[in-house]
Amino acid sequence: MAQITIDPLTRIEGHLKVNVNVNGGTVSDAEVSGTAARGIEKLLKGKEPRDAAYITERICGVCFTAHGWTSSIAVENAHNANLPDAARVVRNLIAGGAWLHDHPLHFYHLSAVDYIDITVLANYSGSDINLNKIKNLILSEVANPPIDGSYVGPFVPTYAPDQYSITDLDTVVTLVQHYIKALEIQAKAKKMSAIFGGKQPHQSSIIPTGVTMFPNADQRSQFRVLLDEVTGFIKNTYVPDVLGLGTNELFGLATSDIGVGYQNYLAYGCFPEKQGHLMYPEGAIVNGILMADNRDDIEPLITEDVTNAWYQSNSAGHPSSSQQNFNLDKSAYTFVKAPRYNGQPMEVGPLARMMVMANRTSHPSHSHSAVQQFIGLVNAGVKPGVVARHAARALETLILCDSMYNWMDELDSLEASGNTQIRDNNHWDPPRNGSGWGMTEAPRGALGHWIDISNFAIGNYACVVPTTWNASPLDANGLNGPFEEALKGCPVPDENNPINVGRIIRSFDPCLACAVHVIAPNGDMKQYKI
Amino acid sequence: MKAKLINRRHFIKMSSSAAAALGLSQFLFTKEVFAAGPNAKKPAVIWLEAQDCTGCTESVLSSLTPAPIDVLLDTINLQYHETVMSGTGYVAESALQAAIQEGGYILVIEGAIPAADKRFMKVAGKPVEDTFIEASRNASAIIAIGACASYGGICRGGESDGQGAEYFLDKHGVSKTLINLPGCPLHPQWFYETVIDFLNGKNINLDSNKRPTSIYGQKVHRNCFRRGTNLCLKSQGCKGMWTKSNCPTLKWNDGVNWCIGSGAPCAGCTEPAFYDQISPLYTKKFISSYYPK
Repeated sequence: MAQITIDPLTRIEGHLKVNVNVNGGTVSDAEVSGTAARGIEKLLKGKEPRDAAYITERICGVCFTAHGWTSSIAVENAHNANLPDAARVVRNLIAGGAWLHDHPLHFYHLSAVDYIDITVLANYSGSDINLNKIKNLILSEVANPPIDGSYVGPFVPTYAPDQYSITDLDTVVTLVQHYIKALEIQAKAKKMSAIFGGKQPHQSSIIPTGVTMFPNADQRSQFRVLLDEVTGFIKNTYVPDVLGLGTNELFGLATSDIGVGYQNYLAYGCFPEKQGHLMYPEGAIVNGILMADNRDDIEPLITEDVTNAWYQSNSAGHPSSSQQNFNLDKSAYTFVKAPRYNGQPMEVGPLARMMVMANRTSHPSHSHSAVQQFIGLVNAGVKPGVVARHAARALETLILCDSMYNWMDELDSLEASGNTQIRDNNHWDPPRNGSGWGMTEAPRGALGHWIDISNFAIGNYACVVPTTWNASPLDANGLNGPFEEALKGCPVPDENNPINVGRIIRSFDPCLACAVHVIAPNGDMKQYKI
Repeated sequence: MKAKLINRRHFIKMSSSAAAALGLSQFLFTKEVFAAGPNAKKPAVIWLEAQDCTGCTESVLSSLTPAPIDVLLDTINLQYHETVMSGTGYVAESALQAAIQEGGYILVIEGAIPAADKRFMKVAGKPVEDTFIEASRNASAIIAIGACASYGGICRGGESDGQGAEYFLDKHGVSKTLINLPGCPLHPQWFYETVIDFLNGKNINLDSNKRPTSIYGQKVHRNCFRRGTNLCLKSQGCKGMWTKSNCPTLKWNDGVNWCIGSGAPCAGCTEPAFYDQISPLYTKKFISSYYPK
């Protein structure tokens, strides 16, 4: 048996360390650690409640908008505010723009590079300027071989593309071109979101009780032009790339058990529609059974366990009463707490949302072609693992693209009917005492904020974020977190090259930064690039 | 033996930087292909992420002119960047160490560094404070991007007591050219403009808070379209009266909007006082730009 430590894992947001024990070529158990803490919740204590949306927005510069949105809902709840229709629609559009930037970026810039062999570009014969720059770089490297190859020795093992690596020149050329195009598209999606949000990342116009602007006709038409371009890329490039790889080159991976995990799924749902339902529905699925289908039933069953996290106290409690006091001397292995739903570890994110949509047959989203297409993949043998997560992420983007146009139309009709109120000014000032919670979805999963107002100021504030669910540690009941569970059984045929560990972790789109170090059982450092 | 080490270092550095520049997978460069290529001549950049949210990286990537891919392929040799680079773990770490030994790079720092206890942030088992100081010593210049890296920003006032780059340079007695580019996040134009000016040897005038005066020379309020009108957001807590930046003229995301343009008060994110001494954000309050170390 070998123990492998990967610290940090790169191409994620934040700082993550992974320990795995490898037995007979597969992972027998895993330990996942968050290695950085800022203490944002605690610094909010004593501040004006309205500041919370602005500050928690800064928890993440990738899923920006998600925190400001969720926090605003929590504060509104505590203020007893009512959100005007126009504010709901403008928020959906600001957040939707951020999502349309986030999903393609995760696929092309953080994940796809795990599946392609870039060196085949040495044979590129096309005229693309950037590809030729990359080709020349590769050729110049080949022309200057090392005098002594020993340095690649045990520290940098020669990578032989594995069964899931793509070496076909045309496919690699296409993916690298799309990687470059997606860089431009993600910037344009942020630009689109900034038209109504003020700026991105870290929009300024979503504030508790509403939004700060009703977009004028010029701004709306500017938004539509960018929406057309971004949607075109998603429909014609991003989704076909993901599904194409998943059903061809990576179909073997898609139908394998690699990275499947608990199959417990939790979604809080998000993007409220005028009919009252959420575009992405809420739900909790445990052992294949839909246990809850609304937030009010889900919220009371959430607890946070800190048995193996560097915080004081050992008992699991509801987030509304959670304490954020660190204890760095504790025998623990992570800064990530262990949220549980009714005692169960739950996977959150696009796959969880897709599973809820597939199970909630009477919800409007269920009949969307994207959900039906996903069900078709499952019927064709795709397991809920690495490829399914990428496919669910891509397919759910199609639902959002359609809704974005509906909300733009709704904005036009709200203006036409004079319903341009954007704030509930009567509930702008905080109550002396109050409490509230907000639950929505970030692109990478279920996001909840809890606020307690005491003497007009923040008495306590708690956030349970998507990666807290997914990257959670072992709890008092001996249950691993979802990453840890999904890693069990991961094939590592070569201990020097645990590439599949990175593929599994990245398929969840974690919000922690990572790179990989491998430590052999004797304590010698071996290094692996994942 | 020595030659081997140099070669190994060279290989790791070059292959890793190439991969970083392309954002492509590090491990794919181990087919004994080596760089002496275009990247060898471009100015080196090491980008460290401390207690950050990656928002400044996201902001730099939100630029349309220049396009980030052109900067990566043509202008700089990005040797280390946790979020963008393909390399992971030891290869990334070795690239960092090799680049530090070679020296002469621009060191970009994003995020605050915990002052309360080093254990609040480690990468590869090592406190980020140690890595930052080590990288600072051989840098040609240090650019602190965003409010957190400049003055502690959001992280200051939290239990980890996040502080900016200058705090740690002073603490360890490292004397280097430091440019602060505060903002939450910083504007991509501020980053590209400063890097290009620096590489061109242009004289960059800094104010007492080490901010370029070409960017942070005037108060937001002075150039604000709401100034002197009943649209002024002063009563709603706008900090534009005490905050210096060119936001009113530059605007954000390709010029489509900005905080005050969208009806939100300025939060003072480019000032050293941000955030703990500027709160509350939505209530009128006099701010003296103040930041005790």
